[in-house]
Amino acid sequence: MEMTEKIEETAREIGERVRPQIDEAKRKLESLNTSAVSFIKENPGKCLVGAVALGYLIGKIASRRG
Amino acid sequence: METRADNPPNGRSAGDGTKKLGKRIEKVGHTAEHVWDRTRDSVSDISNALDIQGRVQRNPYGTVAAAVGIGYVLGGGLFSPLTARIVGLGLRIGLRLAVLPMLKQEMAELVESLDDEEGKGKGASKLNVKRTRGDEP
Repeated sequence: MEMTEKIEETAREIGERVRPQIDEAKRKLESLNTSAVSFIKENPGKCLVGAVALGYLIGKIASRRG
Repeated sequence: METRADNPPNGRSAGDGTKKLGKRIEKVGHTAEHVWDRTRDSVSDISNALDIQGRVQRNPYGTVAAAVGIGYVLGGGLFSPLTARIVGLGLRIGLRLAVLPMLKQEMAELVESLDDEEGKGKGASKLNVKRTRGDEP
């Protein structure tokens, strides 16, 4: 019984300690996602051409290795 | 004294050649402009038909991923070991996701049927024991 309580308390402490960092990481990821989406929406041509070029390079590398 | 420029050997004056060259350059310019206009129209027609702007607005990541895929195919990566590996991994994950619930259900049914049979078997064996005891004098 005591052991279980101890484990629960430790888990709670770890959770409380880690929670702010997780929240911060979540906020950062959300802002990154928002900025990426807005950039793609504002410059669709650039993004699509860049993506095709990137895919082309990956395809070239993959075909050379094979 | 007459110079070669004033009286060329083919009988034409230098001014004629310059005019012709000018006309040709003008014609080439017109043709280039026409080709450029037609190309621009074609590109705008294609982009209107594909609705790239709308697609990007609706699903930006998907459109970029599709562009990467198109580039990958153009780069010759379609028939490569990397593609085989990616496809294999996708198939494995898909099969697991599709088959696992079915397998779980089958296992649950099997366990239930085994439990039922065991229960019946125990009941039958108890009955047998009673019968054998009853037969004894």
